[in-house]
Amino acid sequence: MRVRRLTVRLAILLLVLAVWESAYRAGLLSPIIFAAPSLILSAAVKDGWTFLSAFRVTMFEIAMAILIAWSVGIAFGVVAGVWPILARICAPILSALIAVPLVVLYPVLLAWLGLGPTSKIVFGTISGIFPIALNTLVGVQSIDRGYAVMAAAMGASRRQIMFQVMAPLALPAIVSGLRLGTALIVIGVVLSEMLASTDGIGFWISYHRGIFNTGQVYLGILLALVAAGIANAALSLIERAYSHRTGDDANP
Amino acid sequence: MSIAASARPEKGDIITAEHVSKVFGSGTQALRALVDVTFSVREGQFVTIVGPSGCGKSTLLLILAGLVPASSGRVLVDGQPVSGPSPEKISVMFQDAWLLPWKTAIENVEFPLTLRKVPAAVRRPRAMSLLDLVGLARSADRYPGELSGGMKQRVAIARCLVQEPRVLLMDEPFAALDEQNRTRMGNELLRIWERTGRTVVFVTHGLTEAIYLADRVFVMGVRPGRIIESFSVELPRPRSIDMIGSESFGRLRNRIWHLIGEERG
Repeated sequence: MRVRRLTVRLAILLLVLAVWESAYRAGLLSPIIFAAPSLILSAAVKDGWTFLSAFRVTMFEIAMAILIAWSVGIAFGVVAGVWPILARICAPILSALIAVPLVVLYPVLLAWLGLGPTSKIVFGTISGIFPIALNTLVGVQSIDRGYAVMAAAMGASRRQIMFQVMAPLALPAIVSGLRLGTALIVIGVVLSEMLASTDGIGFWISYHRGIFNTGQVYLGILLALVAAGIANAALSLIERAYSHRTGDDANP
Repeated sequence: MSIAASARPEKGDIITAEHVSKVFGSGTQALRALVDVTFSVREGQFVTIVGPSGCGKSTLLLILAGLVPASSGRVLVDGQPVSGPSPEKISVMFQDAWLLPWKTAIENVEFPLTLRKVPAAVRRPRAMSLLDLVGLARSADRYPGELSGGMKQRVAIARCLVQEPRVLLMDEPFAALDEQNRTRMGNELLRIWERTGRTVVFVTHGLTEAIYLADRVFVMGVRPGRIIESFSVELPRPRSIDMIGSESFGRLRNRIWHLIGEERG
């Protein structure tokens, strides 16, 4: 069954590629606007290694930004969430920061951190961290205080209450924050590479667009999609691990 | 029957409350939740605290548990002043079981030990034997979402007992259950109490429940919250449902009923 579904999908993909390629050959598509599959293929043959190493740079930046944004965002959200005064101060600031076009900060980051991966990691981090922190904060805040009282009666420390009781209880909210945040991180990293850098998928897309190498541009786009797909798959893995642990419904 | 008698802890007293008061807020807004509450509980006794809603009985329990500080006065448990939660001496149970939804029944029972980093090889058999005691051995691997209200409270009892406390504090633990289940759980609790011999302080607003379970009943009044009377229940143990219909039970019930009624005005 599964194999059959896979062959059907592959057949559809091949059909689309065939139509696309023949439309190009028939002169219906301008190669500057729309690269054909064959152009992408020849770009891969010609500049494959460059793109592969650029892909590694981009993935490294995304992974680092995810690592920082997830851990700092969740930790901050949990701490602020259990502390009512801090929550009341932070929640509106965080929602405001999500609405700010953070890209205006990028020139400043460049001046501070240079053209290398650091500025991309930092920009990716600040692109994604606010929704993660806000969702965690709101999730923790909405948990009934009875859980905390119960854990305190058992002698749980403040830290144990936060990370062994409140954070897991808030996990559904945290995961939805991670979904949003991670997508923004991938966007932030690729975007910052396109704006100013020396390497990475975004940089090469930008570069080849400037010299009308449409095949290379499309190759870059494909690889950026792959990067987003990998980040998303990592998230789904976490989500699935969680749902295995809950039994059926999560009512207390 | 004297309540305001000596506040000094006597031998055999596990809990002593000395002139405990609690005020919420300050100035003209101040709410006197508890005023000069003094009583003691002997080791191994089953004590119930009964009173109308708003009389501060839950607050009193939280103070005994060390979860809320008293505004004045003090509480001694086993001769030591209570200044914070002391899970090795006191376990608390609430109206809601507050089971962690991602943990199975047995993992929830183990949780207090997990917090104390007791190795799994030690905590698992202890948790299992207590689940067996509350009659849930076969549901050990089920999640809270798959358990009924009564079963959740059984898990909560096991989770209290796994900490091997001297005192069990229970804040209307069966109030959310229907009457049949409440009576069943009461009997179950008495059976467990008789087997483990721990001291129980049980807060409720149900008169029948308060008398049926207790060696001693403290009656609380409202505005300000205070203890207005205490009664010894002379019914034999083990208790049975038929006693509820007996004359002495009815007399005691009426007396408490009128006491609380006068309080309300």
